[in-house]
Amino acid sequence: MAQSKPAGAAKWPVVAIHDLHKSFGDLEVLKGISFTAREGEVISLIGSSGSGKSTLLRCINMLEVPDQGNVAIDGEEIELRGSGKRRHIGNEDQIRRIRSELGMVFQSFNLWAHMTILENVMEAPLIVQRRARAEVEAEALAMLDKVGIGAKASNYPSQLSGGQQQRAAIARALCINPRVMLFDEPTSALDPELEVEVLRVIKLLADEGRTMVLVTHDMEFARSVSDRVIFLHQGLIEEEGTPDQVFGATKSARLRQFLNAASHA
Amino acid sequence: MTDDIAYWFSYLTNGKHLTWYASFQFTIFAALAGGTLAVVFGLIGATLKNSRFFPLRLIGTTYSSIVRGVPDVLFFLFFPLAFEQAVEWLVATQVCSPEAIAVQTAAWPPCKEANWFLGTPEYLILASVSLGLVYGAFATNVIHGALRSVPHGQLEAARAYGMSAAQVLWRVHIRQMWVYALPGLSNVWMLIVKATSLLSLLQIADIVLWADRLGAPNFLPTVGLVHEDWRWRYYLVLFVFYILVTLISEKAFNAIMRRAGRGILSEAQ
Repeated sequence: MAQSKPAGAAKWPVVAIHDLHKSFGDLEVLKGISFTAREGEVISLIGSSGSGKSTLLRCINMLEVPDQGNVAIDGEEIELRGSGKRRHIGNEDQIRRIRSELGMVFQSFNLWAHMTILENVMEAPLIVQRRARAEVEAEALAMLDKVGIGAKASNYPSQLSGGQQQRAAIARALCINPRVMLFDEPTSALDPELEVEVLRVIKLLADEGRTMVLVTHDMEFARSVSDRVIFLHQGLIEEEGTPDQVFGATKSARLRQFLNAASHA
Repeated sequence: MTDDIAYWFSYLTNGKHLTWYASFQFTIFAALAGGTLAVVFGLIGATLKNSRFFPLRLIGTTYSSIVRGVPDVLFFLFFPLAFEQAVEWLVATQVCSPEAIAVQTAAWPPCKEANWFLGTPEYLILASVSLGLVYGAFATNVIHGALRSVPHGQLEAARAYGMSAAQVLWRVHIRQMWVYALPGLSNVWMLIVKATSLLSLLQIADIVLWADRLGAPNFLPTVGLVHEDWRWRYYLVLFVFYILVTLISEKAFNAIMRRAGRGILSEAQ
C-alpha cells in the first residue's frame, strides 16, 4: 500500500492478476491467467461464451474467489484463505475497502429497484465510503448529467429504458471515484438502438484516461476503445496485443475463426 | 319513547358494560404486540434458515416446521404456564431456604417466596409472546420465501460496492423482501387477529368472556340486568368488531404495499 507510484514511463499497475485458476464443479473455467492493467489503460477481454472472460472479471473484485492465484489492486494483494474449492476471502475489512474503489457495471444493470436513480448513485459513497451528503449529492447529480440522464434523477429504475438504466449504473460506478471501472458485457442486455448511447458514454470515459477492464462481444467497439485486447480461449489467454495487432495482424487460428464468426453474427 | 332511550342508555353504560368496552384494549394490544413479535421472530427464523452454518439453519428449520404444527390453543395453554413455572423454579433455587420448603404444603411453588403472581398485564404480555412465537413460525416461512424472491443480481451489486453482509441484508435484501412477503404476512396477521379471541384461556377478562357473561340470562339481577339468553346479540357485536378489524387491516396492508412496492411494482408508480 505504502509504495509510492513511479513517475517514470512504466505506468503504475492498478490491477495485477497472477495465475488465476477457477473451476465450477468439474468444469475448469480459468486455467492460469495473468495480466496487468496499468494506470489509464483500457483492456478489453474478448472470447466466445464459456471462454471464462466474465469469470475472470468477477475475480478482480472477488465476486468469484479463484481456486488458485492472486489479484492485487494498486499494489495491494487481496487476502485469501484456504485452498481450492474452500478458498475464501481472508479479510472482510480489506475486501470491502478495495471493493469500494472498484466501479462494477453489470450486464443486467442490477440497479437497486427500491431506490430512485439518485439514491442508487449516492448509496455507496454515503454508506460505504461515508462521505458528506451534500458533497455526494452534488457529485451524483453531476455524474447523472454527464451520462445524460440528469432529468431522471428522481425516477425509479423500472421507469427507465434499458439504455438509461445502464447509464445510471455507470454513473453509480463513477460516483465512488473508482480506481478501475469493470464492465461485464454492459450492452449485451440492450436492444441495438440503445447500445449506442451506452457505448458513447464508455468511449467518453476511455478518452478521459480512466483505467478500465471491459468484457465485451462487440469487436468493433473493442477495437475503437481499447489500448490492449486480450482473447481468451478455453480458460487461457490465446492472444493479446494492441487492437491493431489483434484485429489487424491476427496470429492465432482460433482468434481468426472467432473474429470471422463474430463478423458474420 | 324517551324512557326507552334512557333505559337503553343506562343499560349500555352501566359499569359492567363499560368494563366490557374497556376490555377491547386487551384484544387490540395482544393483536398488535403479537403481530409485531411474529414479524420479529419471522425475520430471525428466516435469517437462521438462510444461514451458512448448519446448526443455525437447523434451529430455523426446526422452529418453523414444529411450531407451525402445534395447535395455537395448546400453545396458549402450554407456554405461559411453562414460562411461569420455569421462572418460579429459577427463583426457588435462589431464595428458598430448607425451612421455607418444609412449611410449604402445596406441591407448587417450592416455597412462598418463589410464588409469582400473574395479573392481567403479565398474562397479556405472555399471550402476546405466545401469539408471536406461534405465528412467527408461519412468518418465518413467508419471509424465507420472500427473501429468495429478491433478484440475486441486486445483492451481488451491493456486495460489489463494498457493503458489509449486514448492510446488504438490511439495506437491500430485507428492504425489498417486504413486497414479496406482505401478501403472506397479511394472512398471518388475520390469523393472529382471530387468535386474540383465545385470551380468556389465560384468565384475561377479554371481550369474548364479557360478551358471554353479559349475554347470559339473568346476569346480576340485583342491579336490574334481567333478560333472557341474549348471548347471540353480544356475539354478533364481536362479529362486527372482527369484520371491522378485517376491513381496516386490508386498507392498512394496501397502503403499506404501495409504500414497500415503490419502484418495484409497476402499478404502484
